[in-house]
Amino acid sequence: MRRRCEDDRESITIMVDGRPLVARAGDSVAVALGLNDILKMRSSPAAGAPRGAFCFMGVCQECAIYIDGALRQACLTRVAEGMVVELRGVP
Amino acid sequence: MGKVNKGAGAIADVIVAGAGPAGTNAALAAAASGLDVVLLDEQDAAGGQVWRKPLDGLNGLPETAELKAGNALRERLIASNVRFLPGRRIWSVSGQYRVDVIGADNPEFFEAPHLIAATGAHERVVPFEGWTLPGVIGLAGATTLIKSGGIVPGNRIVVAGSGPLLTAVAAGILKLGGTVAAVVDIAPLGAWLKALPALASVPSLLAQGAVWTLAIGRARVPVYRGHAVVRALGNGRLEQVVIGPVDAAGAPVAGSDAFTIDADCLCVGNGLVAGSDITRCLRAGHTYDRLRGGVVPVLDDAGRTSRAGLYACGDGYGIRGAAMAESAGVLAGLAAACDAGAISAEEMQRRAAPHRATFAARRRFSDAMAGMMALRPEQVRAIAPETVVCRCEDITRGAIDAAIAAGAKDLNQLKHFTRCGMGPCQARMCGDVVAELLAIGTGDRAALGALTMRPPLRPVPLEALLGDFSYSDIPIPEPAPL
Amino acid sequence: MSYDLVIVGGGVHGCTAALFAARGGMKVALVERGALAREASGVNAGTLTMQMTRVALIPYALRAHAMWANAREWLGHDVGVVVCDGLSLAFTEQEAQLLSYRAGKRREAGAPIDLISGTEAKSIEPGLADGVLLAGHCRVDGFANAYLTGLAFQRALREAGVDVLEYTPATGIEREAGGFAVLTSAGPVRGKRLLLAGGVWIEPMLGWLGIRLPIKTLVNQLAVSERVQPVMRTVVGIANGLLSLKQYPHGTVVIGGGWQGIGDRERGGVELVPERLIGNARLACHAIPALRAARMVRAWAGLEAETADALPAVGPVPGIPDAYVCGSVHSGYTSGPYIARLLAEHLLGKEPSLPLFPIDRLLAPATGREGLT
Ligand SMILES: Cc1cc2nc3c(=O)[nH]c(=O)nc-3n(C[C@H](O)[C@H](O)[C@H](O)COP(=O)(O)OP(=O)(O)OC[C@H]3O[C@@H](n4cnc5c(N)ncnc54)[C@H](O)[C@@H]3O)c2cc1C
Ligand SMILES: Cc1cc2nc3c(=O)[nH]c(=O)nc-3n(C[C@H](O)[C@H](O)[C@H](O)COP(=O)(O)OP(=O)(O)OC[C@H]3O[C@@H](n4cnc5c(N)ncnc54)[C@H](O)[C@@H]3O)c2cc1C
Ligand code: FES
Repeated sequence: MRRRCEDDRESITIMVDGRPLVARAGDSVAVALGLNDILKMRSSPAAGAPRGAFCFMGVCQECAIYIDGALRQACLTRVAEGMVVELRGVP
Repeated sequence: MGKVNKGAGAIADVIVAGAGPAGTNAALAAAASGLDVVLLDEQDAAGGQVWRKPLDGLNGLPETAELKAGNALRERLIASNVRFLPGRRIWSVSGQYRVDVIGADNPEFFEAPHLIAATGAHERVVPFEGWTLPGVIGLAGATTLIKSGGIVPGNRIVVAGSGPLLTAVAAGILKLGGTVAAVVDIAPLGAWLKALPALASVPSLLAQGAVWTLAIGRARVPVYRGHAVVRALGNGRLEQVVIGPVDAAGAPVAGSDAFTIDADCLCVGNGLVAGSDITRCLRAGHTYDRLRGGVVPVLDDAGRTSRAGLYACGDGYGIRGAAMAESAGVLAGLAAACDAGAISAEEMQRRAAPHRATFAARRRFSDAMAGMMALRPEQVRAIAPETVVCRCEDITRGAIDAAIAAGAKDLNQLKHFTRCGMGPCQARMCGDVVAELLAIGTGDRAALGALTMRPPLRPVPLEALLGDFSYSDIPIPEPAPL
Repeated sequence: MSYDLVIVGGGVHGCTAALFAARGGMKVALVERGALAREASGVNAGTLTMQMTRVALIPYALRAHAMWANAREWLGHDVGVVVCDGLSLAFTEQEAQLLSYRAGKRREAGAPIDLISGTEAKSIEPGLADGVLLAGHCRVDGFANAYLTGLAFQRALREAGVDVLEYTPATGIEREAGGFAVLTSAGPVRGKRLLLAGGVWIEPMLGWLGIRLPIKTLVNQLAVSERVQPVMRTVVGIANGLLSLKQYPHGTVVIGGGWQGIGDRERGGVELVPERLIGNARLACHAIPALRAARMVRAWAGLEAETADALPAVGPVPGIPDAYVCGSVHSGYTSGPYIARLLAEHLLGKEPSLPLFPIDRLLAPATGREGLT
């Protein structure tokens, strides 16, 4: 994923699996991860297959991962300074 | 607004669910008739999917017709006295009518005698081997990234599937300076040529399509018509896309040569599904309409459902496209105003007339587009046994066929036999494909209808549902007899 | 052709009775208007518990629990039964009193329930919230995966030689020489004997025979979370019985307890009351706080039948030889297999090991019998 327009927004830092990641305020977690080339967000519970954001509009639930301790949809959740993102979904 | 347990619900004359082109226009029309209107959307701004607002702070995004239309709509909304409440996810609709939302600090609800459902469509992707790999995303999802984020979703992108979003996405990526490795359209050129006269009935939209197609040609992007994705390959993420020819019905041509394209992103979609979430939840009358995207409510010419006070408009309740969604929204808003006694029947007819005309004028175009996006049963039949159909629960075509062989005859039973549709997406991704698979045996897709729709309309974090409460607040009912 | 037994209604009662009658040598037809076990028996919370069972039913429920625990032996197919500890909680003094009284009565009836402290309860269920004053602890508890009931019975009944007529609504009954004709959408189904096992629809079914037995329809709401990591390992309820909570092996948590939705016998469970879904969820999270991080993905409602005295309707239909009824069992999923087997034993001419619940007591004097309500 690449952003191809000017971006005046402030940079913030989120923690992804314990590592800091720079994101732009206003972006969704899914976009922030994608722009940092993190596509795999979790493994599917039944088959353990790699999964990432798919519909980007809140329907498919593929992007539901632990954000600040609770399951949230990464495509609908905006990044916030210090946000703790875990790249794991439901077990 | 009503907080659960803390005071009564917020009362309005009309509640509009969804602030896309349909819902926003419905809200504006009802409010202009003097009604007190609450408009709810889970996004931060009005505009819906097609006229999505770009994120604040991004500059230099292409000035598209859609962006202008969206901005105009948002300005009209601000200038109106509609009570627009963004950031509210509707999870329950009940009664006559009560709408429960999360998104504020505490769960809230709104009550009104009139409810206009305008929650929009979602995308259908007919499964193929590897469609669950990270890097494979929906075509509609790609439009979201492009429009609101100025983002190209990969370095080498294959754009595949069916319908008008193909050219829109490919052109959008090119406009942002991205690389499209191929466009793979399931429809043969002949199908587009056949649709051409109908598409020409709305010159502005045909022209837009032509501009996109030219841009794709100028960039020398290979366009494979009459082709579809056979499988997506990669180790943990997409690396290659295998495509092959299909026949006119969308079925792979046996024994023909498939070939491989290197790509790190595949945007794929096969049209839109009208989820009919709210009208199904409230058990209005429905019918199956393949052209309109599935099980849709039966509506009169102003969007009234079979339930008094319940209206539906926009693509979520029958795929017709953004232009018709606007007119349908105005008509539904006027119908609610008329039924509420705010305007007379004559006044309603007078104000509805131009929108009825637009609606009628766009119908041919819209039918042709919807036809390109409708589900192709032959494509579904060709899904391989080992391909995952239900993404949430990793249920394959083979497992679904086995349950059908074991005697599952309707959708709810198939769900009990396999867990297909029990996951967090609640069959929104796989539902109409699964129904098509079941219909292969029963022969009658329409009779299968859809799975029973229940709240929550989208998954709700329990945390958000609870709000602040103390144990003594819980209205615990009488104990059962000993 | 005439069957030895025609059963109307394919829930847990009708299916179990069919299974044991067929195994006992009878030629059985089962008439079901939809698919097997898709009403109460397929949508219930699956809790196999003594702590929500009526006192009079405890002896039956204990035997039924043992049947569920080895369903593979008599049913032959999996319904996902998990046997585990059960806890009934009291958070307030008032609830503690209610719990002591109720647990005591159930204990007298044979349920192995001990009253334990909050601390002890927490050692049994580490996921429990603080603030539990008292808990009823029962070692005979557990749950099944109710939605698997239909598939399991469908296979078992086929193997036992029962003719299962799914998607075949019965529309009436005619008495004729040598038995009954059950009128259905597929024509009459004849049998020497008749068993009505229609759940909340027993009332209209008995009406076909001219018997008026009022059956109250409860509309129970349930909700389920998506899969979450383990948050609990027992069945958790509350003193007044209005919570039932457990986590399935695949991770989903089912939240129930009999909070009422909107619906009736004619239309089914048409609507869920959001306020009550929230109330039930609050109660659940109050008991198991880690649930807060989960998401609710689905809620639904099913219909449960209740007689005037909230005790079962199981036995012969008075005044109509060879007609029987089986249903309206409180916590009927738990007790169903045993109760329906008792009735099958009765039909096969055996002496049932525990008494049935004949409906004479419930009939209005107008039908010529004395009402005992
Ligand atoms: C992702 C996507 C992209 C699309 N892109 C294009 C395009 O580029 N060009 C084109 O011509 N057509 C596009 N379409 C088709 C487009 O949907 C319609 O033509 C048009 O947007 C229909 O308008 P609408 O008002 O019916 O629905 P929408 O525009 O979808 O608006 C529905 C609104 O309801 C809200 N909503 C839904 N559920 C809830 C809920 N439970 N709680 C609160 N709010 C809710 C949504 O957030 C949304 O804002 C796209 C469709 C999708 C699904
Ligand atoms: C939501 C809910 C949660 C519950 N939770 C629990 C629990 O946790 N533990 C517990 O022990 N119990 C529980 N119960 C109670 C339990 O589910 C029921 O007592 C039990 O399943 C009843 O079984 P049944 O066979 O009598 O009725 P049903 O399962 O309702 O079966 C009756 C059948 O008759 C059929 N029928 C109706 N009319 C006709 C007709 N005209 N022709 C042919 N067929 C017809 C119906 O389609 C249906 O399949 C719950 C009930 C509900 C609704
Ligand atoms: S990507 Fe589909 S819900 Fe987030």
